[in-house]
Amino acid sequence: MKKRIFFLSISFVAVLSGVILGYQFRATSAGNNVVPLDREQELALEKKSLVEDLYEMRVEISDLSARLDQAGVGQREAEQALERELARIRRFAGLAPVSGPGVELVAQIHPEQDGPGTVQPPKDITDEHLLKIVNELNKAGSEAIAINGQRITPISEIRLAGSHINVNGTPISPPYHITAIGNASAIKSRLELKGGLVDILNEYGISVETQERNEVMIPAFAGELNFEYAKPLKEN
Amino acid sequence: MRFKSYYWSVVLVGLVLGVMLSVQFRITRDVQHNKAIQRAQELADQVEQMKKEHEVLQAQLLRMRGQLEGLSNESLSPQIKEEMELATIFAGLTKLTGSGVEVTLRDSNASQKFIDNPNAYLVHDEDILKVVNELKAAGAEAVAINGQRVIAATEISCNGPAIRINKKALAPPFVITAIGSPETMESALKMRGGVIDYLQFFGIQVSVKKLEQLTIPAYSGSIKSDYIIEADIDTEFNALNQS
Repeated sequence: MKKRIFFLSISFVAVLSGVILGYQFRATSAGNNVVPLDREQELALEKKSLVEDLYEMRVEISDLSARLDQAGVGQREAEQALERELARIRRFAGLAPVSGPGVELVAQIHPEQDGPGTVQPPKDITDEHLLKIVNELNKAGSEAIAINGQRITPISEIRLAGSHINVNGTPISPPYHITAIGNASAIKSRLELKGGLVDILNEYGISVETQERNEVMIPAFAGELNFEYAKPLKEN
Repeated sequence: MRFKSYYWSVVLVGLVLGVMLSVQFRITRDVQHNKAIQRAQELADQVEQMKKEHEVLQAQLLRMRGQLEGLSNESLSPQIKEEMELATIFAGLTKLTGSGVEVTLRDSNASQKFIDNPNAYLVHDEDILKVVNELKAAGAEAVAINGQRVIAATEISCNGPAIRINKKALAPPFVITAIGSPETMESALKMRGGVIDYLQFFGIQVSVKKLEQLTIPAYSGSIKSDYIIEADIDTEFNALNQS
């Protein structure tokens, strides 16, 4: 009897450890060769941006195909289609004035210089601060931006030159009025996120007031277009 | 003695049961874990699928833009033809070639040595923003970053080690190409106390190469205008003709 109990318990334990080992092995091998978990959030973000992108592309493709159809009808229609396309490209490049809903920002040194919450004594707003604001507006999907009436184009610089900041080679001075066309509430909430750009600039003694507007007007680039070095490369 | 061995085997079985339960518990958790992994896998497949679709649409978009541009060459109005060429170059919608510079930014080697803040030794969105801005100030006519054309609406955002430009995730090293005067751009970057000095302070490895000829690709994303209100084309054209 004593031997039997001993034998039974040993075999019982052996069976159990076998089962456990088996499960353990399966669980471990299942964990290999798959997407790591922390990638999930990244993927979700990527999917979101792709969905938006695909939507924008489809809109543009249907636009363009309408124009191409129109151009096929006749000479007069073709000219009209081209005028529309040219107007669209000029707006996109910053060569035509645009209007639409958006935001108006005023960036300036805090009026009350010794107010609480300033880590550093307020200095001037630098070109870097303005660059960051414009970049943040672009991250939020702005479609057109201007600083103190200077339209931001693909080759606009925002750079300290002497005692002024130049935009498009034109000196501008504070307070800086920045206007942007786009989803006003999305832009405003992105800027005013806790720990976001406005918070960071506040710590440097810079106040940024953002107002949502039903309509902002953004002027065209007023400079000259001359391409001295760049030549278009025609593909066949 | 007999009683004692019975007692011991019960203890043993109890212990084993406990271990088994805990293992079982862990396995159940693993299964849930697996569901999350499955979800991520599914998501990855979807993203992959969408990327393929994205490529197809991108090619279609570029082809259609090219067709319309081609039509403008046959246009009866020389004004439209000329305007169209200039506007597409300026907008970033054409591939360009010319002399210029190639600036390469690499993460610092020092990042391993200074564990306290390795972040300071990586190339950031700000660094790229500064270099691009400096190039524009030095008269760059077109700029691209790792093959992504810089347009008015180009954003540069930091996303972990990758940087997103025109919504595309790019990995280091970052190669910034610009068409313009190679000498002016180089000396602007290398000015004392300028951008390169600043970046090198953080150990970022910067190299500038002047090139006789380089090409810059066209912007290949969509032209987004969901919020811009289309003005009356006629009034816009009248304004254009007067200027």
